[in-house]
Amino acid sequence: MTNESDKPEANEIDCLEAFDHLYAYLNNEITNPIELSNIEHHLSHCKSCFSRAEMERKLNQRMKESGKSELPEAVQNRLRNVLSDL
Amino acid sequence: MSQQEDDKQFFTDCIEQNMRSLYALALRLTCNSADAEDLVAETVTKAWSVIHSLQDRTRFRPWIFRILHNGFISDYRKKSIRPVETSYDELADDNNKEQVATLLIQQSEEFQQWWANPMDGFANNLLGEDLIAAIESLPESFRVTVLLINVEGLSYDETAEVLNISAGTVRSRMNRGRTLLQKALWQHAKDAGLITEEV
Repeated sequence: MTNESDKPEANEIDCLEAFDHLYAYLNNEITNPIELSNIEHHLSHCKSCFSRAEMERKLNQRMKESGKSELPEAVQNRLRNVLSDL
Repeated sequence: MSQQEDDKQFFTDCIEQNMRSLYALALRLTCNSADAEDLVAETVTKAWSVIHSLQDRTRFRPWIFRILHNGFISDYRKKSIRPVETSYDELADDNNKEQVATLLIQQSEEFQQWWANPMDGFANNLLGEDLIAAIESLPESFRVTVLLINVEGLSYDETAEVLNISAGTVRSRMNRGRTLLQKALWQHAKDAGLITEEV
């Protein structure tokens, strides 16, 4: 676990830069600790970007729930036939 | 157990676990259930024939998604391209970073107000199929990127491997894809009468 004191000091970034990093941040793709610190700092101080991030989080959740279609039985049977013929 | 038996057991287990994901991606790419079924069956056969190319078994998902995507490009893409894709030219330039970021901000303000408006209750009224329709309206390069990351849960690195592009391009396609998705949802909500006036 990271202590607050271990975090690098954040630089001020504007909304444009924060938004450019937002999806990478929400997808846990920011590995650079300074970039991470910058965006977290911005989100904790900018109400508009914070709300936007929450909205994007909800949309991510809805996509995860809705994106996978049901697998028709006919397709399952066909794929199992393919596997048994290997 | 021989190496081949071990490979076959591993491959069969992985296909069983990923059947639904493979079909879902094929369906969103081809937009046609018969083609999706054929594409997945061909992917499984092709993948088994090149199983030796899977060097790291933990990378099975990006490996098989890449085979599926390549199969789609070579055999199905022509059929699935829709004229609407030309309307997204404004966002297709990968070098146009600043303009896209500005669009993201402007558009999101509008989208966010609409989303959060309790009178419209958008989040509650939006059905899964509405969201799917919006995803399907995206140009293919953005659609596949959003699906791999936001539905299948692949990392940017794995998505780059599937699509044979750099992680930086994945990142810019994600930004553009999500911008277009908001645009499509906004339009869908207007067309479906979920919103009746500008917010």
